[in-house]
Amino acid sequence: MKLEIKNHDDVLVVRLYESRLDSYIATEFRDEMDRLAKSSRSQIVLDLSGVEFVDSSGLGAIVTTQKRLGRERDLVICGANESVTRLFKLARLDKIFQIVTDVNEALAARSN
Amino acid sequence: MDSPVQPSAAFEAGSFRYAILRHVRYSLGREWGELSGRELFHAVSLAVRDRIVDAMLATERRYRERDEKRVYYLSMEFLMGRSLGNNLHNLGLYDICRDALAEMGVDIEEVEAGEVDAALGNGGLGRLAACFLDSMASLDVPGFGYGIHYEYGLFEQRIDNGCQKELPDNWLALGTPWVMERSEEQVVVPLYGHLEAMHGLQGVENSVWLDWKVMLGVPHDMPVVGHGGHTVNVLRLYAARASAEFDMAIFNSGDYLEAVRQKMETETVSKVLYPSDSVEKGKELRLIQEYFFVSCAIQNIVRAYLRDHDGLQGFADKTAIQLNDTHPAMAVAELMRVLMDENGLGWDDAWNITQRTLAYTNHTLLPEALERWPRSLVERVLPRHLQIIEEVDRRLQIEVRARFPGDEDLVRRVAIVDHHGEPHVRMAHLAITGSHSVNGVAELHSQLVKTHLVPDFHALWPERFNNKTNGITQRRWLLASNPALARLVTEAVGEGWTTDLDVLRDLEPLADDPGFRQQFRQIKRDNKLRLGRIIRDTARVDTDASSLFDIQAKRIHEYKRQLLLALYVVHEYLGIVLDGRMPIVPRTFVFAGKAAPGYWAAKQHIRFINAVAQVVNHDPRVQGMLRVAFVPNFRVSLAERIYPGADLSEQISTAGMEASGTGNMKFALNGALTMGTLDGANIEIREEVGEENIFIFGVRADEIASLRQRQAYRPRELYERSPVIQRIVDVLDGALFSPEEPGQFRWIKQTLLEGGDPFFLLADIESYIVTQESASRLFLDADAWTRKAILNVARMGKFSSDRTIRQYAAEIWGLAPQGASRRRRPSVRV
Repeated sequence: MKLEIKNHDDVLVVRLYESRLDSYIATEFRDEMDRLAKSSRSQIVLDLSGVEFVDSSGLGAIVTTQKRLGRERDLVICGANESVTRLFKLARLDKIFQIVTDVNEALAARSN
Repeated sequence: MDSPVQPSAAFEAGSFRYAILRHVRYSLGREWGELSGRELFHAVSLAVRDRIVDAMLATERRYRERDEKRVYYLSMEFLMGRSLGNNLHNLGLYDICRDALAEMGVDIEEVEAGEVDAALGNGGLGRLAACFLDSMASLDVPGFGYGIHYEYGLFEQRIDNGCQKELPDNWLALGTPWVMERSEEQVVVPLYGHLEAMHGLQGVENSVWLDWKVMLGVPHDMPVVGHGGHTVNVLRLYAARASAEFDMAIFNSGDYLEAVRQKMETETVSKVLYPSDSVEKGKELRLIQEYFFVSCAIQNIVRAYLRDHDGLQGFADKTAIQLNDTHPAMAVAELMRVLMDENGLGWDDAWNITQRTLAYTNHTLLPEALERWPRSLVERVLPRHLQIIEEVDRRLQIEVRARFPGDEDLVRRVAIVDHHGEPHVRMAHLAITGSHSVNGVAELHSQLVKTHLVPDFHALWPERFNNKTNGITQRRWLLASNPALARLVTEAVGEGWTTDLDVLRDLEPLADDPGFRQQFRQIKRDNKLRLGRIIRDTARVDTDASSLFDIQAKRIHEYKRQLLLALYVVHEYLGIVLDGRMPIVPRTFVFAGKAAPGYWAAKQHIRFINAVAQVVNHDPRVQGMLRVAFVPNFRVSLAERIYPGADLSEQISTAGMEASGTGNMKFALNGALTMGTLDGANIEIREEVGEENIFIFGVRADEIASLRQRQAYRPRELYERSPVIQRIVDVLDGALFSPEEPGQFRWIKQTLLEGGDPFFLLADIESYIVTQESASRLFLDADAWTRKAILNVARMGKFSSDRTIRQYAAEIWGLAPQGASRRRRPSVRV
């Protein structure tokens, strides 16, 4: 599993370089995000623009990350394609996460 | 300018022949001379399908251009039967196809016989859905059926040593030309998992649905041709598939066998149609089946709407969804979920749309037949849906408390989740609460729904309750299945009856025309001969077409009382062999119907009927006077042969238990007189044909209700008082009908005398015998009988499913279909 992590002021932008976020890599992804959440006090933007498919294990790993961040820090999702966005809505995660179009919008939202 | 020239019949026949030969070669890859019967059916059907597809695409284009309001009929069952003959008749191509095939040396009836029934239903409910599809297409109503693409339809019934044996009905084994798979339109259906409360945006607590599994619903479209071929609608059936995408991890894990097992388990969801009366309480697979097709349908319907509209505000103005019984009741929660979770609507907007869109048809008065699912099961399989249902329930209780302060009993009675004992979700309560219309299927039934089944809901929302008496399509049940009578009728009154059954009223004067009666009688005789050949081939019983064909053909169920007719046969038999009393007329008693595999009593009734047949048919003392046959494997294509060959139609259910019945209408439309109780639509048939043209007997529904309520029914007293009853019932004790196992049918006697006779056979049997004698006496006078039979046909106009659909359209769906009827019809146009 490949993650690219960039720091923009107090925001970590994490881009997942995998076409599928499913049970095959969900545990590894969750652990890595867990590590990031613990090691930094930054907000996290998760860039899913390279991801074509997420299953419920992948969604579960993202939810776990949000729990690690606690109420003070938000996880913002960006770059999700239509079918991934549909699954976020199915799971009602759009009520929990801010879902925006791309990284720029995510960063703009943070600065606002 | 000249008007367009219609192609001649000869030209049409030529192009048809060409199309058939093209499909033989290029679709089947065969030479003409080496075709099997099945392949020939396939090639002819593909030639017909070419024309249907053109009209189907044009129909959809027309609907979209006009932005028509669409009706979606959600049903677990569609008992379609065979399609080729029906499609040809509705396209107006039957004669052309017959002639084209004849020139190729092929008999069209043999081609039709090559088609396997699509038996995706148990009985009346599923056949009603099929008739409604035919009527919607014939009335140019944009109406679409949504159901399950079962791999196995209703089981094939064989009779082995008098007993029913069930064989799987693999109707797709050899393929079907009528179904088109639409893999690209598959939908994702989530289930299982759990809800988790999380701190959400704007600081609001929200629950999320995690760890769900998914299955895929793959649509299979079957075209439904309207009469005249102008409109071709679609029946969309969903097959369950495992998702390779979602299950990739399992396949990647290296446990190939486990992966295949899980894939197969998912696909069992659309594997088999549950026989009615045998759904085990709380059966998880059945709940998943119901949810599966509802979810596929709702997602598809919403998606189709959004394809042509911005936003969902106008959804209910352009969409009507009819729930055929409670099986699709989960649509209430699923539509709410899709509107809120997937499309961002708030609760109030979503609820407003849901209620305005959904309507519910009730089909049963038996409280024990109303579906209830353990709350714990629903929570495990559909956690998000349960959450929605409980919120609907909470709001319902608030409304009830506001309108009926202090009446906590009422709150408990109407609650959707019943907390008495193990909590259960009451699907009828969910359907009623989430719909703007609740209808029964015959006048009496709709009345009893209001007064006995759900009186509390009627008190809450009286404006929702209405009646839509069932109907049947005359295109299948007369035009296609009884061509000789259809021809005679058309010669007499013109062909308008095919789209306006009230035209049959013009036959009335002909009931007094001796020449017409003679023709009518001859057709009935020919149909009895045709049925007689089927009886000989399948039941191994020879029949005499001059005898009175007395037929009961329907699902075997205690409340439908096949046993009552069987006991009447016993009475007639004993009268001959013990009393030397000759029957007034010779009779052939014909039974047909399937019992649910797990319904012991019904299967025993089949055994008893066959035992009686065995004795009667082999006793030389009754030769020429009585015959009894149980015709195996009742299905649509067999019914098409049975109804035209009947003199007397047995509609003898315990009063108050049959919602409507539609077999009663099919028999009468084919010129049989009805022997019936005052139950279901029999009452309305009596109103239409006149009480002098129908045989009515037995205790009324209100009398039975009163007897039950007062616990005043004493079957043993009836038995002790009546030597006639004693003689019939005592036979069940002995060895007459079970020489190898004396007392085999003693349990029936015990049920009647000690078990309280729950279906009131002994209450009705004496008036039944007397009324049967009236029928026999009338049959002696062939002219008088035929006159009444003609009047029955003439007065069947009300029972066309076209009339039923017009009422649904105007009074529930908010649209007015095209086409005229002589009958005064609702003038609402929205």
